[in-house]
Amino acid sequence: MIAVIGLAAVFVATAGAALTAWRGWQASARGATSSVLALRNAVTLMLLGALVAMVALQLAILSHDFSIAYVARNTATTTPFVFLLASGWAALEGSIVLWGLVLAGFAYVAVRRVEMGDGLGALALGIVGLVGVFWFGLMATVANPFAVCVDAAAVGCEAQAWSPFAGAVAAAEGLGPNPLLQNHILMAVHPPMLYLGYVGLTMPFAFALAALLRGERGKAWLDRTYRWSLISWSFLTFGILLGAWWSYEVLGWGGYWAWDPVENAAVLPWLVATAFIHSAVVQRRRGMLQAWNFALVISTFALTILGTFLTRSGVVASVHSFTQSPVGPALLGFLGVVVIGSFAIFATRIHLVASAPRLESLASREGVFLANNLLLTVFALTVLLGTMYPLLVEGFSGRQVSVGRPFFDRVTLPIAFALLLAMGVGPITPYRKARATIVWNRIRTPLRVALVAGAVFVVWGVRSVPTVVVVILGVFVIGVIVREFTRQLGRMSGDRSRMERAGTLLRRDAGFWGGQIAHIGFALAAIAIATTTALAVRTEVRLQPGEAEVVSGYCLEYLEPFVRDEPNRRVEGARVLLLDASCTDAFRLIEPRINRYPGATQPVVTPEVRTGLFEDVYVSLAGGNADQLVLDVFVFPGMWLLWFGGLIVTAGGLWSFGARTLVRRNGDEGAAITGDERPRPVTVHGDRDG
Amino acid sequence: MGRHRRLLLPAVLLIVVLGLVTFLLLDNTVFFNTPTELMDQPASEERQRLGGQVVANSVAETAGGVRFEVTDGRRTVAVMHTGAPQALFQEGIGVVVEGTWDGSVFSSDAMLVKHDEQYRTSDGEEYVPGEPIAP
Repeated sequence: MIAVIGLAAVFVATAGAALTAWRGWQASARGATSSVLALRNAVTLMLLGALVAMVALQLAILSHDFSIAYVARNTATTTPFVFLLASGWAALEGSIVLWGLVLAGFAYVAVRRVEMGDGLGALALGIVGLVGVFWFGLMATVANPFAVCVDAAAVGCEAQAWSPFAGAVAAAEGLGPNPLLQNHILMAVHPPMLYLGYVGLTMPFAFALAALLRGERGKAWLDRTYRWSLISWSFLTFGILLGAWWSYEVLGWGGYWAWDPVENAAVLPWLVATAFIHSAVVQRRRGMLQAWNFALVISTFALTILGTFLTRSGVVASVHSFTQSPVGPALLGFLGVVVIGSFAIFATRIHLVASAPRLESLASREGVFLANNLLLTVFALTVLLGTMYPLLVEGFSGRQVSVGRPFFDRVTLPIAFALLLAMGVGPITPYRKARATIVWNRIRTPLRVALVAGAVFVVWGVRSVPTVVVVILGVFVIGVIVREFTRQLGRMSGDRSRMERAGTLLRRDAGFWGGQIAHIGFALAAIAIATTTALAVRTEVRLQPGEAEVVSGYCLEYLEPFVRDEPNRRVEGARVLLLDASCTDAFRLIEPRINRYPGATQPVVTPEVRTGLFEDVYVSLAGGNADQLVLDVFVFPGMWLLWFGGLIVTAGGLWSFGARTLVRRNGDEGAAITGDERPRPVTVHGDRDG
Repeated sequence: MGRHRRLLLPAVLLIVVLGLVTFLLLDNTVFFNTPTELMDQPASEERQRLGGQVVANSVAETAGGVRFEVTDGRRTVAVMHTGAPQALFQEGIGVVVEGTWDGSVFSSDAMLVKHDEQYRTSDGEEYVPGEPIAP
């Protein structure tokens, strides 16, 4: 029954998406009076279908309906409630349902702002509809989340059929989620965050493509999608942060970032989206980089599809494994259509919409923005090359290769230096043409403070040159921002309290200050990455029960091994007491462990981390037996600063998002912005006239 | 012409940077071999990876680590691993190790952790511990 309802809902959503595409095109071409209402109805239909599909899938999961193959393969009766909910989007088919739902939800929000006679908005929604046709079409065909199980295994499902009317059989028990996914609560939150970011980036893409197709000059498409870009970017940032944190807390190899293709897939669109939200400022303020912005926004969207392809097709394990499921080739085909189609439109129509005002001087805010964009683009190209190279080599020569971490680390380091430098100088460099004396005046004091901070680190015993450089640059970035903030605060008149004035300042120019908040977070994270990389200490300890050993200023006492049976897993671990260096005062009991999940080929090694203000103690099982325990003990100084910095970056993005308009100052627009702005709406709200 | 001159500097910079990146990329490429592929190769100082299944009853602790054999069902390679093996390391499971090949023994100093919980053979089949891989 659920299979029928679910698949029917998917078909409704597909029809809604197709109707959205059709009505959007129609409304754009004709501007007929009734067409906007029809467009809204089409989007509503798409959203309703997607909602019912998700609810049906969740009902099937929560009621343990193992006659649905997806439920039998990805959940079990013993799965805890939170992970049951998360299973709705944790595996391939479910993740596409979530994708479609988020897309339809975003389209629903966007269509509220499309008024009659608004051709750009209508066509953009039409393009969103086309994207929706692909995702819902995928669900309706090769990735049907409601495929029924026709041959039950003892546990799980052996074979499935697409038709909901096939004779369904249900196993008594399901396989349960992927062990890595049910090992930590973060895994329930991390994918939706990434998806909110990925899918949100469809909006600027759709508006950009619509502007190109309509040959609409001006920055209307940018103004109308700037907040979409910001909110998507914030979600993406937060998603990547959660992923790194999860990797640190769960995977037990003693790190948070491995330049794994799956991680690169998330960071690639982030890099280009970051370049875009910066270069968008230049176009909105100065009218420059118009063609460049189109290229960036198309690339960002293409990279989100590439990311999905890399993570969802199995191509990472082996080039040849992605054809095992038709979803891989379908995603690759869609990627090809997006890249070739959008860039063909870009190449043939860009002359209609973009003109390039001259850069007056490289020594200007625009110049630094340009440098920032160049750096981020090179960064993204590098990561893309390093990620795709093994796939290309294997595809052509059949040999498997991997690109080592040293490649990514070495390339990233100089780019990160340059980015931090641009981040420090950029925000206080005037537009148009900057005089050296002005810039020097604004950076003089922060530079001194930063050099002192660097010296403190050297005296403290840090000998790694890159670490000291990052600390100097990071403190410099923060110093410049703090100085500029206090300077502007000092110029504000009035007898209100300092806090009130600070609040007003942050709100008055929220776009700018949100960016600066993000910069502070980024600088903090960079300092944390540099110090934890250089100062982390790894020790291997062998202990017998009752034995204690002092490691890196801590005393570890092995109490006893334990085995604990939990509903969904068996936990084997060691109770270890963490004490101070003299082995007298206990901090706490830690339990590094191995989690074994039924139905999974490999168990999961889970470390235990004690987070402190100055350093983290990270203990992971490295092997051994009942008589002798082998522990990997890492000490990471100032680790929390990385997570804190990441949160500040996200907060900065959200603060900018909260800003209603970025550009309110008059008289500072680039002279080249001509052509019509967004057409005047005929009615204030289309939904009031029905 | 001024417009083109302006583009010249970024273009040259971009080409230089991409050249450097490509050089680094080729310098940091690590080949992955099955035991059969590895044994067809001469000894080399170059770092490479070896993946396969740990042969039953082949694991022995050594002073600095562990010694074992890795097989792909056809041929078997002896591995000398320096450092503690992973917690999950045991006979019969699939491993990926990284190190150098001297023509008879593979000296490894790194055992890799995969994001995926399942190891796969090169043709994408799932690795079932205890079963030899189809050649």
